[in-house]
Amino acid sequence: MDKFRVIEIKESVFADNNAEAAELRLSLKKKGTLLINLMSSPGSGKTTLLKRTIADLKDELSIAVLEADIDSDVDARAVAEAGAKAIQLHTGGMCHLTAGMTRQGIEEVGLDGIDLAVLENVGNLVCPAEFDTGAAKNVMILSVPEGDDKPLKYPLMFSVCDVLLINKTDVLPYFDFDVDACVERAKKLNPSIEIFTLSGRTGEGFSAWTNWLKESVKEWKTAERVGDNAFVRYGRK
Amino acid sequence: MHELGLLAEIVDKIEEVAKENKVTEIETLVLDVGEYSGVVPVYLEECFPAVIEGTLLEKTKLQLNIIKGKAFCHDCKKTFMIAGNEQNCPYCNSQNCEVIEGGEFVIKEIVAR
Repeated sequence: MDKFRVIEIKESVFADNNAEAAELRLSLKKKGTLLINLMSSPGSGKTTLLKRTIADLKDELSIAVLEADIDSDVDARAVAEAGAKAIQLHTGGMCHLTAGMTRQGIEEVGLDGIDLAVLENVGNLVCPAEFDTGAAKNVMILSVPEGDDKPLKYPLMFSVCDVLLINKTDVLPYFDFDVDACVERAKKLNPSIEIFTLSGRTGEGFSAWTNWLKESVKEWKTAERVGDNAFVRYGRK
Repeated sequence: MHELGLLAEIVDKIEEVAKENKVTEIETLVLDVGEYSGVVPVYLEECFPAVIEGTLLEKTKLQLNIIKGKAFCHDCKKTFMIAGNEQNCPYCNSQNCEVIEGGEFVIKEIVAR
């Protein structure tokens, strides 16, 4: 029998996924589909926020939502009713989505003719921040009841996002949530992060967010190359 | 809590490497875990048996090399150990420092045949 030998690998755990993500990003650029990786904790108001976003944009953009939640049939239906194509992804019970899983889901249904695809990542502020999904932009939702200290507790998540949505501003009077402190903490981790404060329930502050989406779709379709994003800049190498 | 997912990713990678190298038995898997990588060694060890079940790594031992955190100060250009100096450079008190070692999470090697 052969002797044991050492096989040197010396590769970051994230290297393969990062390469796959870059490849997927390039193929989506060619299609002209802007993929947004939407991350948050469970209960941050993601579905309500998505439904309103779709309702506001459905006349101007064709939208698809890729759902990664383990038990999300209800969400998928709600999203479809709001006017977007809903697609269920298979996470295999994992705590995050990888670029491979995202690509598989996209290949199954195709995104031809879709301007904006929103990837609802698994509700979790830790693991999704470590795996680039191949999205063009990364967006996270932090809702007021979760507290303004979250950038201190989940620094990587706030670092890898291009946009932070501070959601549920309608309940601000009832919580000790300091918006300025939260903004300062997030900017310290990621100076280029764009922050919108809004409420998915009332629609307050929504136009700035939907305008950003429209601009980003336009930019993505017309830009010469893929360009980078916060995940590529600050994510795990 | 993310250790399980990370290990699943590693097992996939190792199975790929094993195939490329025509390896059928893996004695040891060696990982370099930085002190500031956000990965908790104890959790890696606890999750490992569950992740390797039914894979080529079923009988593999896990060896973790812990890499100490080291930082570089951009102001005084000195390097220092991070432990005990989490906030500032111990030489000039600057906050303009960068982690240069200890943030990694790397598959170092496997011992196999």
